[in-house]
Amino acid sequence: MGLQTISIIVLIYFLLLFAVAFWAIRRRQQGRSLISNAQIYSLSLAVYCTSWTYYGSVGRAATSGIDFLTIYLGPTLICFSWWFLLRKIIRISKEHNIVSIADFIASRYGKSTYLGAIVTVFAVLGIVPYIALQLKAVAYSFNLLCSSHANLSAEFASISLPGHSQIDTSFIVSTLLALFCILFGAMRLDSTERHEGLVAAVAFESIIKLVAFLAVGLFVCYGMFDGFTDIFSRFLLAFPERESLLLISGDNVSGGKWFSMTILSMMAIMFLPRQFHVMVIENSDISHIRQAMWVFPAYMFLLNLFVLPIALAGLLTFHGDTQLADYYVLSLPLQHGQTALAALVFIGGLSAVAGMVMLESVASATMILNNLIMPVLLRFQWQAQNISPLLLNIKRGAIATVIFLGYFYYRTLGETEALVNIGLISFMAATQFAPALLGGLYWHRANHRGAAIGLIAGFVVWFYTLLVPTFVEAGWLSHSLLYDGPYGIEALRPTALFYLNNLDIWSHSLFWTLFFNLGSFLTFSMLGTPSPEESSQAMRFISVATWDSSREKRKRISKAPTIIEFIDLMAKFIGEKQANKAISDYLGDREIDERGSLSEYEVPSLKLFTEKTLAASVGAPAARIIIENYLSARGSKMEDVFDIFGTVSLSRDASREQLSVLYEAANLISSGDELKTILDNILDLLYRQFRFDLCAIRILDEDHQILRVYSFKGIDSEFLSHADREVNLDTCIGTTFVTNKVVLANDSDCADKPVSMAIVRQHNIKSFAHAPITVEGQPIGVLSSYSRFAKGIYTDEFIELYKNVAAQIGIALRNAKQTTQLIAASEHEKELHIAESIQLGLLPKQMPQIHGLDISGICVPAKQVGGDYYDFFLHPKQQLLDMVIADVSGHNIGAALLMASARTFMQAHSQQTKSAPETLKILNHFLFSDLSHAELFITMFYLRYDLKRNALCYANAGHNQPLVYCPQTDSFELLDAEGLILGILEEVEFEERCITLKPGDIIVLYTDGIVEAQNSANELFGLERLKNTIRDHYKNSSQDIIDITMNAARMFQGRRHFQDDVTLIVLKVNTTPHSGHPNE
Amino acid sequence: MSEKTVQQRQMWSIFFFLGLIMINFPFLQIFNRTETCFGIPLLVLYLFIGWPLSIGIIFLFSRTLELPDEDKPSEKQ
Repeated sequence: MGLQTISIIVLIYFLLLFAVAFWAIRRRQQGRSLISNAQIYSLSLAVYCTSWTYYGSVGRAATSGIDFLTIYLGPTLICFSWWFLLRKIIRISKEHNIVSIADFIASRYGKSTYLGAIVTVFAVLGIVPYIALQLKAVAYSFNLLCSSHANLSAEFASISLPGHSQIDTSFIVSTLLALFCILFGAMRLDSTERHEGLVAAVAFESIIKLVAFLAVGLFVCYGMFDGFTDIFSRFLLAFPERESLLLISGDNVSGGKWFSMTILSMMAIMFLPRQFHVMVIENSDISHIRQAMWVFPAYMFLLNLFVLPIALAGLLTFHGDTQLADYYVLSLPLQHGQTALAALVFIGGLSAVAGMVMLESVASATMILNNLIMPVLLRFQWQAQNISPLLLNIKRGAIATVIFLGYFYYRTLGETEALVNIGLISFMAATQFAPALLGGLYWHRANHRGAAIGLIAGFVVWFYTLLVPTFVEAGWLSHSLLYDGPYGIEALRPTALFYLNNLDIWSHSLFWTLFFNLGSFLTFSMLGTPSPEESSQAMRFISVATWDSSREKRKRISKAPTIIEFIDLMAKFIGEKQANKAISDYLGDREIDERGSLSEYEVPSLKLFTEKTLAASVGAPAARIIIENYLSARGSKMEDVFDIFGTVSLSRDASREQLSVLYEAANLISSGDELKTILDNILDLLYRQFRFDLCAIRILDEDHQILRVYSFKGIDSEFLSHADREVNLDTCIGTTFVTNKVVLANDSDCADKPVSMAIVRQHNIKSFAHAPITVEGQPIGVLSSYSRFAKGIYTDEFIELYKNVAAQIGIALRNAKQTTQLIAASEHEKELHIAESIQLGLLPKQMPQIHGLDISGICVPAKQVGGDYYDFFLHPKQQLLDMVIADVSGHNIGAALLMASARTFMQAHSQQTKSAPETLKILNHFLFSDLSHAELFITMFYLRYDLKRNALCYANAGHNQPLVYCPQTDSFELLDAEGLILGILEEVEFEERCITLKPGDIIVLYTDGIVEAQNSANELFGLERLKNTIRDHYKNSSQDIIDITMNAARMFQGRRHFQDDVTLIVLKVNTTPHSGHPNE
Repeated sequence: MSEKTVQQRQMWSIFFFLGLIMINFPFLQIFNRTETCFGIPLLVLYLFIGWPLSIGIIFLFSRTLELPDEDKPSEKQ
């Protein structure tokens, strides 16, 4: 076949790949992802079958026999575990935006930078030879196809053109592949490291290589031979000595080798960087595993179905020559002139190569960028404004580098026999990741030191037991190394380490690498203790399904960046558009406070989100460094939220804890202790429970408008615990009181009141909070707490509790105030009772019993202490009866005392028989200073009844005019005389008037309480009603008249009570009175 | 973890280890003979029948798997 034809075919094929990739990207942009289905996913996994499968399986079957199958049986077996193992890995990776296997391991062990670097270096070391193998396969098959003859001894590495120039096929292919990978693998730094175009191309290639291989298989079996049976029987007939190829025996295949290769392939399918990438990172939906776990083994089965027949057919066709057994697939159709089929086979092989190289180089480039270059770059390039274009170029460079590393490896080592088993060497390298990765998935104690030492040990032994023998065979090292050991130390022979010389090279290497790798991993993990960051990552990885992010220990960020600053930071690495999109997705369902920023406790989760988003582009370790550098550059720090509720921080438990504190506070309040004791105890409760350094209560002193320290517990300092605060906005405490809102500083460095800050700094306070103490919504004081221990102790939950405690204190204060009032009231009442009994004692206990006179009197105080007074003084010698009625303004004790003093005076002077005006005058003089001092006055009516003469003389000091009813004439006379109320002037002259009484006359003395009794219509009882009552009942006894009058007044008032004291004296002149013996 | 999940997990483990035994020594020694069956060597026949059988088992079992809620396919693509 001509060079031109093949070149055109190759070119067309590559164009087809480009078209498929572009189509996939178009579909994704339209929202109808092509690759997001289980079939494509399963096909993309078939990137496992590289040219090593495509060409190498046949070669291996022809030379070493049936053991080629182990490479596919192992992966089939591991598929049994996918539903649990792979699903877990994918779930974790999605959760953490993991972008590579290095990222996965680094992320599991506390986002360790150096662990990521170690994995990257080893992964790249492990796969470069593998890429070389692929390039070699392309070059050989291309040249074989070009030369169009099956001369097995030809040199196929390059091809001679008529002009004697050489075409380096592998270089051209490398360049094409690099271009393709850069185009579709590094189009942009995505926030999810997924490459739809690449995956679509790989899936397409998987179809091509299967179709091509099945075609050649069918041709060989049924075109060249007569089915499977024919091939086997002819082979056994022609090469009876090679029967062992179909058995597990002899030198070629042993049981141990078989087992080792099964294990190797199991690990390879899981941990080869490209497999991990396509299985985990490019997975668009976890449910795809369900189909992939049987479609992928079925694919491998179909691909291997014809391997053995083709190998045997090749041996038969080429007479047992196995020099180019690897290319039987191609040379068999060529031998039979089937150039079209050969071209298809070549394209199939190219597909196998292209898929592997593309994914492997992109996966490696991602690792190199994220785990090797980023950490270094972050140290030096930090100031750059926008480094995302730079990162993209580095990634492109890394892709090209990996591919051309493979190319150079092939050019230097490719022509030796060394490449034969290079695939298995890569498998062994991938196996080294197993302990750290699988252990990290299920074992809590696994830590980064164990993982790193295990990996390093594994790779050193890998290098020594597999690569060193390869170098020896390539002639780079002396053969004596292999046979005598380094420096003649036999124990260290690379293929018989520690005299283990009865194992094949694979089992030997697998045993020793895993022995050292797993051994170190276990030992150093057991010895070390994981850091908090690592433990938290371990928890997230191991219990990915049940991990509840709310259980994380809460953190806060001091001097936290704003949302905008986070966006800017992300934009630096992933571009502005992507950053804005990510943040709007994130903020979609979150609450933003009134200032347009997140609450203090949302910021750490935003930080986590930013880190994850960055991790999707640059890997977890680099993302962690970026965030840490950024925060430390701003002076921000992640701090543990001091777990104020003790060991339990679950919200449900926290609320139980809160309740218990509130309950205890309520108990204290209801204890009945003194206010001071209660408040001291509450402060003590806060102080003990939350380990504050100072708790204080300040209460408003209303007279001076100052918040005075009422009680404190903790630091005894002049400025903090003894200082009163003014009610203004200069201090935090004043602000709390004025605004009636909680003022808190979770970080005292950020307090905005200079005065408060100075005080707080002086005492090394880290955080503090003030809550207003209110009674019925009005602030009356401030509850303060200070902590030297930790910043950020005031969580939202705690502040709620704190407010509640302040409210309880308010209740305690209100209770205390009410108690004081109650006590005052009861004391007042007691006082009133005393006064009442004194006053009642002042009134005459008995009416004077005088023949011919019927006298009755009543005094009903409206309140407990009355202001009314009446009395009788009898002068038997002179046959005189003095009557006095008085009303003092006011109803308090003072009034009662004054009345008592007036009575005492009158009693003392009663024997002097001075006339009524004189008595009033002396009394006024006597009481004046007291009355005017107490701002009281007294109205008084004084009468002197001369029993002998039936004459009634009287004087009035502004009192209600008494009534005299004469039944004969049915007329009333009002007694009045000039005179001033007592207590107005010191010297007052009182007029004396006299009348003569007739038998039947009724004199009624009263105070204004009766005439001013009001009904509900605010009408007064009035003098007329009084008169009518007396008129209607004049025949009754004086006592009856009083009772009837009182009843009438009460009836008149209805539901009301007397507003004023009511005093009523009725004197009825029955006959001409004779002197009696009044009892006083 | 539900009863069914535990049972499933155990079934998968049993099949995994059974498979590991059946494609390894000494089990393979049973078929490691020169005899042929229908003209195909016994070992080849065994492996090429056992392999699709195990794939068939995976297929049958994968049909019984139910996705937990958190892994239900999402709309985001």
